[in-house]
Amino acid sequence: MEKEGLGLEITELRLGLPGRDVAEKMMKKRAFTEMIMTSSGSNSDQCESGVVSSGGDVEKVNDSPAAKSQVVGWPPVCSYRRKNSCKDASTTKVGLGYVKVSMDGVPYLRKMDLGSSQGYDDLAFALDKLFGIRGIGVALKDGDNCEYVTIYEDKDGDWMLAGDVPWGMFIESCKRLRIMKRSDATGFGLQPRGVDE
Amino acid sequence: MNYFPDEVVEHVFDFVTSHKDRNAISLVCKSWYKIERYSRQKVFIGNCYATNPERLLRRFPCLKSLTLKGKPHFADFNLVPHEWGGFVQPWIEALARSRVGLEELRLKRMVVTDESLELLSRSFVNFKSLVLVSCEGFTTDGLASIAANCRHLRDLDLQENEIDDHRGQWLSCFPDTCTTLVTLNFACLEGETNLVALERLVARSPNLKSLKLNRAVPLDALARLMSCAPQMVDLGVGSYENDPDSESYLKLQAAIKKCTSLRSLSGFLEAAPHCLSAFHPICHNLTSLNLSYAAEIHGSHLIKLIQHCKKLQRLWILDSIGDKGLEVVASTCKELQELRVFPSDLVGGGNTAVTEEGLVAISAGCPKLHSILYFCQQMTNAALVTVAKNCPNFIRFRLCILEPNKPDHVTSQPLDEGFGAIVKACKNLRRLSLSGLLTDQVFLYIGMYANQLEMLSIAFAGDTDKGMLYVLNGCKKMKKLEIRDSPFGDTALLADVSKYETMRSLWMSSCEVTLSGCKRLAEKAPWLNVEIINETDNNRMEENGHEGRQKVDKLYLYRTVVGTRMDAPPFVWIL
Repeated sequence: MEKEGLGLEITELRLGLPGRDVAEKMMKKRAFTEMIMTSSGSNSDQCESGVVSSGGDVEKVNDSPAAKSQVVGWPPVCSYRRKNSCKDASTTKVGLGYVKVSMDGVPYLRKMDLGSSQGYDDLAFALDKLFGIRGIGVALKDGDNCEYVTIYEDKDGDWMLAGDVPWGMFIESCKRLRIMKRSDATGFGLQPRGVDE
Repeated sequence: MNYFPDEVVEHVFDFVTSHKDRNAISLVCKSWYKIERYSRQKVFIGNCYATNPERLLRRFPCLKSLTLKGKPHFADFNLVPHEWGGFVQPWIEALARSRVGLEELRLKRMVVTDESLELLSRSFVNFKSLVLVSCEGFTTDGLASIAANCRHLRDLDLQENEIDDHRGQWLSCFPDTCTTLVTLNFACLEGETNLVALERLVARSPNLKSLKLNRAVPLDALARLMSCAPQMVDLGVGSYENDPDSESYLKLQAAIKKCTSLRSLSGFLEAAPHCLSAFHPICHNLTSLNLSYAAEIHGSHLIKLIQHCKKLQRLWILDSIGDKGLEVVASTCKELQELRVFPSDLVGGGNTAVTEEGLVAISAGCPKLHSILYFCQQMTNAALVTVAKNCPNFIRFRLCILEPNKPDHVTSQPLDEGFGAIVKACKNLRRLSLSGLLTDQVFLYIGMYANQLEMLSIAFAGDTDKGMLYVLNGCKKMKKLEIRDSPFGDTALLADVSKYETMRSLWMSSCEVTLSGCKRLAEKAPWLNVEIINETDNNRMEENGHEGRQKVDKLYLYRTVVGTRMDAPPFVWIL
């Protein structure tokens, strides 16, 4: 396998191509390597606005040629596919943005942005709004006195009762939320309360 | 010349269905031209700017089915600005005015608006089939019009479009009387789906054969949908995350077992791998499997599934399957005809897991293979020579070595000989994409041997104009040539202007062609539209004293019978 990450494979092209005038070749060809070297410079052919031009994605290039940079439109994977492969990473990535919220008895799966809530109170309000049902949020504040429990799946795949850990810790580890009827919750296999802080 | 009455000739023509053949028939004589044009129902227009709706309708007044393609292929890779063109609105307006009995519309890389969809839905009483591929510009409101107004809708097939999802109730817009659906594909929709409306729609569509769900359809809904549509042939699973101990999962397993007609499986847009085994019972029937969006499924689970798929003809997968996984494919899928291996890591962490070994294994194990798209980390000439020997039947061969200009990793030589072997052996090759370190030599081989080649994609290849000239002079059947970041300039561009009349289009970006070269070409060939796409500053090109010698960013030229298009945005300069 090639050495990765140091860009040394770029220099490999200069070595050991038998019978070729490599320097001349590099000048004539608008090679990938050239684009990395020159696009951070002030070549007038390059576009200044950062939009696609003669082959260099200016925004992404670092000054050092050793940094691996990206050329627009390469590899030739269509933009729909690119978006969808990145999306997979971000929706399951813990702590960032949207988590899925399901509620027992509701045929819709919803997504919400944890990052937009400031704390459990906010979350309570947001959940109520999400499903148009009052009383979900109450569970977060009032523990034992309501019809629903809000649970979440954490980084380790365990289901925990929401509201026990500090908010910051919660949004870091929450992968998804589920609003369950209290009657179904017993025997579900929730992890015990009381996390050491 | 005609020994038979027109009706008989027309009846004979009914058996001729391919566009190429019908076009050929129409050239035989005036009488056949006339009969053919009145009897033609399906028309294919590969470049929407090559002609216009008025000419289309004048020639084919009995049109029922239209296929239109808009933007050039490289638009898929963000090389063409969004506002470039390819608007379907004028076409739909003209078709609506003419009262032609349109039943099918198939669009690729076009700009479609809600207004267009609404007009479409209201103008054609017998409209049956809408297929949109890689289109953009519309929302779910447009889909609602189609659902509500097309009484006999059979197909609504949305493939990889950019659709603004207003989370409305488009699915509920299908009236209760709509029972004719055969294809429903909304996998590319981002937002929530009204599951109740969806289930009711599926339940009242006994002819539904192809159903492709989006991410918002959870597992329990999938189980219910499959239970009420056991006749399903083609299924796109949406979200596939579940708890293997749950009741939903059990229901799903039961439903899957009943789907004995299932032949094609795709989707798994969000997937929990350990539950793929639910599908094992029907794998032996599958002919098509697309797991290329299932990034979360690791190689080992993919392999376990594939081991059951002995009848597979088409496989789209991620490179996370690895060379070892491809060896399993090679030993299991003896009927394989088409393989696509996509990169799972686009950012370039170097984790790509397939090499030339996987490709060689496939070529050795799958004698019926004729189409391949293969993204890989590295390649050798020796491997390509072996592949050519094993599979002389390639029609489409697209190899993408992720790092541009990468030579044979064993010998450090360019890959000219390897690709040369492919074009020499594969006498039916129609489409070819090159990558890796390549000199003019590979183009010499292509010009010499690739007699049937219609589409060629070149990136970071070649040394001099000779390379491009070999191709233009040698490939008599060339239709679409697209080149980026290669040192071809005016000499090659201008050598044989009449060549472009036999081709659909030529794309050149980040090459060595200059503005004066393009201007000369436009002068010599008034039947071509020569477009310069210059997003930076169009005026700069004119003001600059060295204007003529200024290199052109992006050049797109295509033959046309209707001259300059009127809908070009300011950054497109048509010479």
